[in-house]
Amino acid sequence: MSEEKRVRTVCHGCHSLCGVYVTVRDGVAVKIEGDLEHPYSQGMMCAKGYAQLQQAYNPARPKYPIKRVGKRGEGKWQRISWDEALGTIASKFNEAIKEYGPHSIALHSGGNTRRAIQAMYVLGHSIGTTSICWTDAHYCWGPFAVAEMFTHGALTLMEVMVDAENSKCIVLWGANPFHAYPASGRKVHLGLHNGARFIVIDPRFTGGASKADVWLQTRPGVDDALALGWLNVIINEELYDKEFVDKWCVGFDALKERVQEFPPERVAELTWLKAEDIVRAARMYATVKPSAIFASAALEMQNNATQAIRAIACLPAITGQIDIKGGNLQPQFPRGHLPGFFYFRKQYRPPDEIEEQRIGAKEFPLLCGPKSPFGPMHPPSMIQAMLTDDPFPIRCWMFCNDPLMNLPNSRDCYDAFMRVPFSVALDINMTPSAELCDIVLPSAMWLEIDEVTDRQCCVVRRNKAIELVGECKDEMWVAFELLNRMGVKCWLPGVESVDDYNNFRTRGMGIDFEELGRRHVITCAPEYKRYEQFGSFKTRSGKVELYSETFKEHGYDPLPNYVEPPESPFSTPELYKEYPFVFVPSGTRLPYVHSMGRNIPWLRELIPHPEVDIHPEPAEKLGIKDGDWVWIEIPSSKERIRMKARLSLMLDPRVVHLQSHWWYPEKPGPDHGHWDVNINKLIHARPCDPITGGTILTGSLCKIYKAKEDEL
Amino acid sequence: MTRLALVVDEERCVGCQSCELACKAENNLPVGPRWMKVDMVMKEEDGRLVASFPHTRCTHCVNAPCIKACPNKAISKRADGIVLIDQERCKGAMKCVEACPFGAPQWNPETKKMGMCNLCVHRIDKGLLPACVGFCPSGTLIFGDIKYCNEELRKHHERRMAGKVPFP
Repeated sequence: MSEEKRVRTVCHGCHSLCGVYVTVRDGVAVKIEGDLEHPYSQGMMCAKGYAQLQQAYNPARPKYPIKRVGKRGEGKWQRISWDEALGTIASKFNEAIKEYGPHSIALHSGGNTRRAIQAMYVLGHSIGTTSICWTDAHYCWGPFAVAEMFTHGALTLMEVMVDAENSKCIVLWGANPFHAYPASGRKVHLGLHNGARFIVIDPRFTGGASKADVWLQTRPGVDDALALGWLNVIINEELYDKEFVDKWCVGFDALKERVQEFPPERVAELTWLKAEDIVRAARMYATVKPSAIFASAALEMQNNATQAIRAIACLPAITGQIDIKGGNLQPQFPRGHLPGFFYFRKQYRPPDEIEEQRIGAKEFPLLCGPKSPFGPMHPPSMIQAMLTDDPFPIRCWMFCNDPLMNLPNSRDCYDAFMRVPFSVALDINMTPSAELCDIVLPSAMWLEIDEVTDRQCCVVRRNKAIELVGECKDEMWVAFELLNRMGVKCWLPGVESVDDYNNFRTRGMGIDFEELGRRHVITCAPEYKRYEQFGSFKTRSGKVELYSETFKEHGYDPLPNYVEPPESPFSTPELYKEYPFVFVPSGTRLPYVHSMGRNIPWLRELIPHPEVDIHPEPAEKLGIKDGDWVWIEIPSSKERIRMKARLSLMLDPRVVHLQSHWWYPEKPGPDHGHWDVNINKLIHARPCDPITGGTILTGSLCKIYKAKEDEL
Repeated sequence: MTRLALVVDEERCVGCQSCELACKAENNLPVGPRWMKVDMVMKEEDGRLVASFPHTRCTHCVNAPCIKACPNKAISKRADGIVLIDQERCKGAMKCVEACPFGAPQWNPETKKMGMCNLCVHRIDKGLLPACVGFCPSGTLIFGDIKYCNEELRKHHERRMAGKVPFP
């Protein structure tokens, strides 16, 4: 008689954290279904969620610790015990600390699970290193954090903060939540079902754009100009909320003066749009209320990312739609709950004089220094530190994702691997980065662990559905085991184990982790306009800072501004003749999350090869047919990558869309074919966004030509 | 008399392919057969781009040509309208592929037989929704008696229209 149970838990195929039920038969997970009672996801499931079973039981998943026995990157491994692995890592860490100081240990984690990020911070804060971040801090989340925190003191534009369900006008600005953030995508669906007006700003005609009242097919990389154009219309036509602006904003007059430089006609020229469409969209946003803007990472990969986001953040501010029902909400959790990113709070971070030593703190003080809202190191500067020992040497490197695939300039990153004496990967896949490490540790998936997860207004417990596959271990367990072996106490008082940590997260709510298990979900009623309750916004002046004194003090423009990308049809017209396409990278295509998912057969079937989307018109001139392999080159790199052409009307004929993060898990290691197809090989970390050091991807130039038969 | 149908409200679909994977997972299909397949098709109309989202699947035809085409008499139609391929009888002759105007029957390289959408008979006979319908994020898919489906489709449309704030 087979034994079957259904475990109520939380998916982690991406960052959406949707509630699911996992059916487990004789200890094997056989089915994943939506949890209709999850307060945020309400039972929806996406393609990535269904495919998680194939990740858990993937034959290529690392199942026990291994150490390198050949040359680095040679692919010769030997199985070792956890005891040996942890012992080696602990002693290497201790040696490095003794000789070079704690900052010589670099730790980071990214997309694979948020558990991993927490584990890295538990480890990093405890041993006292400032060399810690989420892997793409400079162009994912970092620019949003800096721009929004210094404007109105909270993250409101991304993901779960957008109250699309109750909105009457939804704006997707460089975002495609239906594919990239499905639970929030569902909220947009609900809003649309209730008749919301819909504006989509995207160079691509996405599924969402096909439903839009206004689709602005902007030139990639100039969202700063577009946002200033919207502000111009809204301010000059007096569509803003005068009462809110008088009471809660500083610098409105200065902003008003600034936006005069951006009349719709000029913006239309810069963005390749029609002035009347820009005006119509801006009017719609400002008059059909409540309206909400859903912005996303596409904005962060631009040359002027932080200011572009600041300009967009000014829109809900001057129209009085921050923290209102149907607008852009500020994060809210049940009282006392410690959210998943609590370790970014000032009281949990190192003292200012230590934080000033962090990699990137001098060049990008608002991202990396003590004043930063979150304080990560600047990842490309970390790679530079590894290569040059400046500002200090990095001796040990541990990560829970794939820096080689995800950071700009893969060649530099590869050289960094060759130079750092000791590197450790803790991952669910044998990635090209893991292939270059000294030790690879197999980590647990969301199906295998108990943990606290949170969304807007709710806390939900993730419950272990299946036993750990092979010798895989919870990342948090690894962190605490390493601390034990190093003889270091956790920096959280009284926290010595995974159980302690889980309880630490919930105890502010007056319950322990077990009680959370009994209740499964804890919610709180949404409150609006909490700035009225507090009497201030969480900024220096207590108001929305349209004009930022902090930016001014650091030598940045205190008002949102516009800067043309360094390579573009406008700034380098000569170069544009040789490189006649503006490219937009990494627009989400459904099956994959960053570099993950190519090893999952069901997902791989949907997009088996890296694709470049190109309009049929230029394709015909170049003799490119649908499905042809083409080479892609950019001006700043001598190298090239190849992808399959997908002819599509979705783009302007002057724009192409490249998929990012590609590698072939099925091809032999150590490189798994990524040198051929990963766009990051071409990209340089500099020049960059001056405020957060974000890599410039969107809006740069490239050329494309057909690959010859013998090159394939 | 009941006639079951799976109706697609294309006004809601954005092509997220959740239903494709729901189907794969429910029916444990390998790489290859896609009983439900969603595409996004674009064309220019009066200088504007428009998109449709065709869902390629078995439509459970009234006079299903695959039934006659099958040399092994493996395909039959239930009283509620569902067209089924009997896996015992199917020998993988693939005649149904030629007969079907929609490209619904799919070759399964593991079982060496044909398969296609059966509206999740094993689920609906227990009173559950087909796997693709239950967790569709957008509410695109409507399942039930064909009259009910059409009524729902109309209600969806009315609700959207009623909620729209007028904008000049």
